[in-house]
Amino acid sequence: MANYGMALDYKNCINCKACEVACKEENGVQLGADKHRIWVGVKEIEGLWPNLSIASSTFEPSQCQQCENAPCQEVCPTKATHYTKDGVVMVDADKCILCSYCMEACPYDARYVKEDTMTVDKCTFCSDTRLLRGETTTACQATCPTKVRTFGDLDDPNSEISILLAHREHRTLKTHLGTKPKLFYLI
Amino acid sequence: MKVEISRRRFLQGSVALSIIGGTSIGATSLLSDENEHGEMRIMTRTTNTKAQKVPFLCGMCVNKCAGVARVEKGVVVKLDPNPYFPKSRNMLCPRGNAGIQTLYDPDRLKYPLVRVGNRGDGKYKRVSWDEAYDAILNGTDKFKGLLQILDEEKDNRSTIGYCNGEGLSKEGFEELMGLKIGTPNYVDEISICLETVLGGYSATIGAYGEADMNNADYVIIAGANRAEAIITPDTMDMFKRSKGRGLKTIVLDPRFTNTAAKADRWYAINPGTDLAFVLALTYVVFSENLYDKEFAKKYLIGYEDYKNHVIKNSYTPQWAEKITNIPADEIYKTAREFMSSEHPIYYQGRRSVFAKNDFQLRRAQAIFQGLSGNLDKKGGIIYGKKLALPKEDVNSPMYAQAQDRFDKEGIAIFAGKTGSWIVFRNMVLEGKNPYPVRAMFMRKHNPMAGVPNTKKTEEFLKKMDLNVMIDILPSDTTMFCDVILPEASYLERTSPVASYGFLEPAIVQRRAAIKPMFESKTPEVIYKELAEKLTEPLWKNSLKYDEDVQDDTKGMKVDELAKYYKENGFDLTEPWEKSVEELNKERVVKAFGEEAWNTLEEKGVYYPNMDKYHKQLNPNEYQYYPEDKKNYTTKGDKLKVVVNFKNLAKKGVDPMPTWHDEWAFKVPDGQFRLVTGRHAQFTQSGTTNNMALRDLIPTNYIWINKREAKKRGIEFGDMLEVKSSVGKVHIKAYPTEKIAPNMIFMLHGFGGSSKEMEMAYGKGGNDASIIEDKIEPVYGAAVMHETNVEIRKV
Repeated sequence: MANYGMALDYKNCINCKACEVACKEENGVQLGADKHRIWVGVKEIEGLWPNLSIASSTFEPSQCQQCENAPCQEVCPTKATHYTKDGVVMVDADKCILCSYCMEACPYDARYVKEDTMTVDKCTFCSDTRLLRGETTTACQATCPTKVRTFGDLDDPNSEISILLAHREHRTLKTHLGTKPKLFYLI
Repeated sequence: MKVEISRRRFLQGSVALSIIGGTSIGATSLLSDENEHGEMRIMTRTTNTKAQKVPFLCGMCVNKCAGVARVEKGVVVKLDPNPYFPKSRNMLCPRGNAGIQTLYDPDRLKYPLVRVGNRGDGKYKRVSWDEAYDAILNGTDKFKGLLQILDEEKDNRSTIGYCNGEGLSKEGFEELMGLKIGTPNYVDEISICLETVLGGYSATIGAYGEADMNNADYVIIAGANRAEAIITPDTMDMFKRSKGRGLKTIVLDPRFTNTAAKADRWYAINPGTDLAFVLALTYVVFSENLYDKEFAKKYLIGYEDYKNHVIKNSYTPQWAEKITNIPADEIYKTAREFMSSEHPIYYQGRRSVFAKNDFQLRRAQAIFQGLSGNLDKKGGIIYGKKLALPKEDVNSPMYAQAQDRFDKEGIAIFAGKTGSWIVFRNMVLEGKNPYPVRAMFMRKHNPMAGVPNTKKTEEFLKKMDLNVMIDILPSDTTMFCDVILPEASYLERTSPVASYGFLEPAIVQRRAAIKPMFESKTPEVIYKELAEKLTEPLWKNSLKYDEDVQDDTKGMKVDELAKYYKENGFDLTEPWEKSVEELNKERVVKAFGEEAWNTLEEKGVYYPNMDKYHKQLNPNEYQYYPEDKKNYTTKGDKLKVVVNFKNLAKKGVDPMPTWHDEWAFKVPDGQFRLVTGRHAQFTQSGTTNNMALRDLIPTNYIWINKREAKKRGIEFGDMLEVKSSVGKVHIKAYPTEKIAPNMIFMLHGFGGSSKEMEMAYGKGGNDASIIEDKIEPVYGAAVMHETNVEIRKV
């Protein structure tokens, strides 16, 4: 049993989208701009040329926040959305009836409709692919050129992620909603 | 191509047949669906089944990162980074990940094809390999063969031209065409890419070097865009420490790039004026005595002349402000910060040549680096070391009838081997060639999209009697070829072993993850078979016309003649007697022993003491060499910075970097300066048919300043006609403040004209069709940023 989370050194991100492609190839996510488990959020730059605000131009890699209090899990009428023993929020495609309540409930817009199965899909921390084979990194972490992500067990005090979080300041997204995300953005 | 199968049938039939010999594809590993436009899409998914893991070197761009292919039941389902290679340090970029989509691209060239229609109309006939080779040698009723051409030209081998793109099998093609068949007329990507930066740095500090971004504390990166044009290890090292984390980053670029987004300061410099900026930095350094005097005295040859030159010409920041659009105060500040940093780097860059003064710009940058003394040391530009592999000699015959290359017009320093694409093409078109050029043998190269002025390239190709292409996809250029030979993609071939140098050197090998699909063949097998087909008939042609050969062989008996043919290198097949796999093993075992070979086969990477040195530091990072074994300093007292290069003056080139007013940035009213560039998701035109990458960037747009667009009533997505003196393109608008009001920007590599590349065809605009074919005067390299254009809404 583990309690999986992810730390993101997001200032490293250069918006190359290697993670998006790696995720799709690893997990069989359909092509199409509206079909993705992970993405890089880009903010349009502020200012007028040549006086542009460099600070306003940011790249924020994002995905399912793997909330401890996941609103998507609460609203699911068929219990398709559930927690694994390792604390990963997953969708059981056999139970999903595509009511899309979960998509409405997710404050992070992290879910999409997988059209070949007509069910809701989202980031699984590669639980059913890489982790199942005993690998210890997710596809997005492994491929990243600037090594934004560190995935690991939050309950293991010796894991790299625990050490990082103990030593580096970090924040979570939309903390005020009380969802207790397990994605930590390092400051 | 009429014989091609539809995308749907490709999935149902060909992939299954050719990858796993007729058994059905594991339903979970290779997925397909169809989008609303009826385009078939293929995706992979990994499973828990037993998989082979095959180390490869990526072939999606020139960088050659190391990866490991996961192969399940004969299908490549995932490409992962290889943590053993010190250059690419455990990463793959989006293109590296999307390599599977190139391997399984339904539009791939699958069989040899021979043209049966007119050039450019796309009518081809599927033929066997032998028929294709035969068509090259003997022609068909539609085109002449090589033998007839060389017979008509009395064995003047120089009447054949050839070109090739970057890659591990490039050398073999040069051996076949240049050393064996014997033509000097070779052009490649160098003269449309980074020729002046390689030349400028080599002439000045003796090498291009490598920037030690891991230990630098200050970097000026001008015109290069490492966040989007990914080069390892630079990209990885640079952005882990930018944004106030140890590496102060100053970016100069006419447009706001993703690299600029990571900068401490961004200067929107006028295109083509970087040289004035560097000269002004140098002025500050000399006038305020900020340079490393001891270092300069010891290693900078002629620096006092340069000091006088820079001061005398008053290359002040105030002077540069007017030229560059960068405030004088900022230039002062940057020069002072640079020289007071412990490990400053003026990043060399490795982009295309943008302006006519590029050679001098690179000289000025290299000298400026030298003035800091931060050369051949940790945190600076380093030289490093390379692990030596034994070389194979090629026995190259002498052809008396072959003539020298001629593409020297307007070039000061003629770079013998690879020449200038623009000068070569244009001289042929203008009839300035002293002898005819009648055939082009091309491989992995798409001059229709890469060489400025596409119309001229098309005319040039149409002028040839014979065009041959070896490639994996039917590119724009392929569609003007008479014989098309399908090559195996990089995941289907074992390539000649390579040595990577610098700080942490290693030997690397690309191993085939799967066998060549369809009827494609690896490049070395194609070279071998082509050589086998051509060798006897071409030898007979030499016997008929070559007076030296005739003199030498007069009165020889059959067996003596055969011996002469072998001993003098006329046997074209000799370099391919052994397979790539055999040669790799032989070379590695000879240099490093059997165990090294086993390591290389298993891990894809080998370097001495790898078993001891290589360690995982954390889930993301590895140690390749311990700190005291890294090659930070290798030159020592042999270090030399040539500041005043007097010999250049003899060639009509300024011996010291000098600004000329004709280089000032000027755009007539109502026009725009066209700038082009790269993107992390595509590598030139070669990747534009890749579905996973198309998914990220479906088309290119024209960046136009928001206020300027508003003035002209242009909104996002409006179709614009962009017109220069050489051509026009239609492309959609993207109004943004990231570019100056008198400039526009478009991504390179889009706007494909080959209908056989379904994902790429007609998407966006091809910059090569509007960039004017101007050259810089030192090597004749194409300048990409000196074209002004007009735009209008259509």
